[in-house]
Amino acid sequence: MVFGPQNHCLYPIILVNNTMDIIEDDEQLGETSEQDSELSDGELQDAFAKGLLKPGLNFTTQEPKKIVNNVEGLKQCLADFRKNTLPWIERLDMVNLPADDIVAKSEGRLDNKASEDINPDDDFQREMFFYRQAQEAVLEAMPRLLKLKIATKRPEDYFAEMAKSDQQMQKIRKKLITKQIMMEKSEKAKKLREQRKYGKKVQVEVIQKRQREKKAMMSSVKRYQKGMTDKLDFLEGDQKTAKGGAGKGSGGQTPDKKAMNKKGPNAKRKYKDQRFGFGGKKSGTKWNTKDSHNDVSGFRAKVAHGKGGKGGKGGKAGPGGRGPAKGGAKRLGKNARKKMKGRS
Amino acid sequence: MSALKRKRGGKGPGGKAKKVKLVENGNKPQTTEMEQNKEITVPPPVSMGKWRNKERVLVFSSRGINFRTRHLMQDLRTMMPHTKADTKMDRKDKLFVINEVCEIKNCNKCLFFEAKKKQDLYMWVANVPHGPSAKFLVQNVHTLAELKMTGNCLKGSRPLLSFDPQFDTEPHYALLKELFIQTFSTPQYHPRSQPFVDHVFTFTITDNRIWFRNYQIIEEDASMVEIGPRFVLNLIKIFQGSFGGPTLFENPHFESPNTHRRVIRMATASRLREKQMVKELQKLKRTENKEAVTRDVTDDVFATPAEERPVHIELEAPAAKVVKKNKHKAFKRQRKQNR
Repeated sequence: MVFGPQNHCLYPIILVNNTMDIIEDDEQLGETSEQDSELSDGELQDAFAKGLLKPGLNFTTQEPKKIVNNVEGLKQCLADFRKNTLPWIERLDMVNLPADDIVAKSEGRLDNKASEDINPDDDFQREMFFYRQAQEAVLEAMPRLLKLKIATKRPEDYFAEMAKSDQQMQKIRKKLITKQIMMEKSEKAKKLREQRKYGKKVQVEVIQKRQREKKAMMSSVKRYQKGMTDKLDFLEGDQKTAKGGAGKGSGGQTPDKKAMNKKGPNAKRKYKDQRFGFGGKKSGTKWNTKDSHNDVSGFRAKVAHGKGGKGGKGGKAGPGGRGPAKGGAKRLGKNARKKMKGRS
Repeated sequence: MSALKRKRGGKGPGGKAKKVKLVENGNKPQTTEMEQNKEITVPPPVSMGKWRNKERVLVFSSRGINFRTRHLMQDLRTMMPHTKADTKMDRKDKLFVINEVCEIKNCNKCLFFEAKKKQDLYMWVANVPHGPSAKFLVQNVHTLAELKMTGNCLKGSRPLLSFDPQFDTEPHYALLKELFIQTFSTPQYHPRSQPFVDHVFTFTITDNRIWFRNYQIIEEDASMVEIGPRFVLNLIKIFQGSFGGPTLFENPHFESPNTHRRVIRMATASRLREKQMVKELQKLKRTENKEAVTRDVTDDVFATPAEERPVHIELEAPAAKVVKKNKHKAFKRQRKQNR
């Protein structure tokens, strides 16, 4: 079919406005050449004259597919089909929106109630929506059913065939139980792992403590052997701590070995940190000037006059870091030490 | 078969006790006793004779269905006591044959399952003699036998039907609602039904599809558990007649499974083709002769046009700057200079 000024065009050139339905059908049948047209050239020329055809190349367009929506027909059909004689009790149908979501309400956000708003891909939300719709139906229907004297609960002695056989229910029950057991097992395993970790930590600490004590004991024994101390207090160290360090004469004054252990290295460490550590005093802090000479704040009378020599002042804490580390034991003189060394 | 024969009720609505056979010789009491042993009458149920709403649904399928569809059909028959089954229909027969089948079975509704290509399942819901019918595509079928659905209900108990409010808004949905109500609700006093209402069918419209769920009512306060089965219906068309007739409604959102698969295939194909094209282009580019460029195009990038200054030679040393901060250094330099 050829229109317009050009001839021998192989493309089917057809009207754009769809007043000519016949052409439409032919196009859909796929016939593209000149044979099928039921419109003669004369008719086409008339159409052109009327103004339905514009000059130039006209192309086919497919009419958009008509979706059937015969509203009148539907309504008519419904009217015919509906059984108006049926009372509600025969049909038991309800139309309802889902019930209020308690969880969402308590959280403060109001869930969208309409069914268009739920996301069909979010499985949980969707299923909860259906569930709530069923709930609402039940809540509405219960009073109505009660009025009509229909029971919803079957009595205990009413035995009848169920939709799912007992075997099936047993299978379901077993599956639920296995699931529960698995969950419990995994919980137990987790707890056990935690416990083991904690236990390991505690064990490590205990071992370290023991090692420390052993080391301390060994060093004090060695000191005694080498003659650096003359007292064997370290053997009774534990007993002293148990008693609380009160009462005994010389023992009362000597502070706890443990306490000294705590303070001694700490104080030394502190001093060293202060002197050599980060941000501590560096060179240029000590000047032998008149002021530093006259400054006697660093004088500790106890240390200067010797610890332990003064009795009766039991229980007081020893000098910080200056006195001997052990509980009151003095360092023997050179000859005495030699003697001790020789002895061992 | 047991020796005892049981009869429920009588022969009909006017059911009476059994008939007594007349015996020629006068052994009447003996024979009656024997017959009394064989035939025991059970009193008819209370609701006998009250069944008025005669709805019968024929549930059957075409050939080529798979196990899931078969189980779904069985489940529907379990859930709805007012259903009847029939043998599989041959694919060659036209659809209006179904009307005749239903007439033979004395059914006035029909649920027909059709399987195509062993993949797609279509369901017809029809009111058989004259009424409307609808065709759906069924998806996401889960049967009663799934272990995740833990509820249970009496076999043949009457369901409560719950519909989305959207069913009342559009005329085609209203028609579908009526069809579903008449098909799925069990008539009261049906002989195979139980008098309790202990489960709910819900029909919800989401994503232009109808979702079907079945819940068991456990407590009066509406705590529920799903029983199954569950499926999703995608409406295709509604016809005015049963399995034929003029189309009343066509779903614009419906995409046939073939088209869907085709779209996916075309998408992957086009992606592949694009990749291929890109690869080929790259090959071409690599092999084509590249012209040698003598002049570097980026040569002028850093050329900053500024006027030329005359060359100035300094004969004297520059004056030393006094830095106030570090006096010692200044003094040192000056000292060295002055030396």
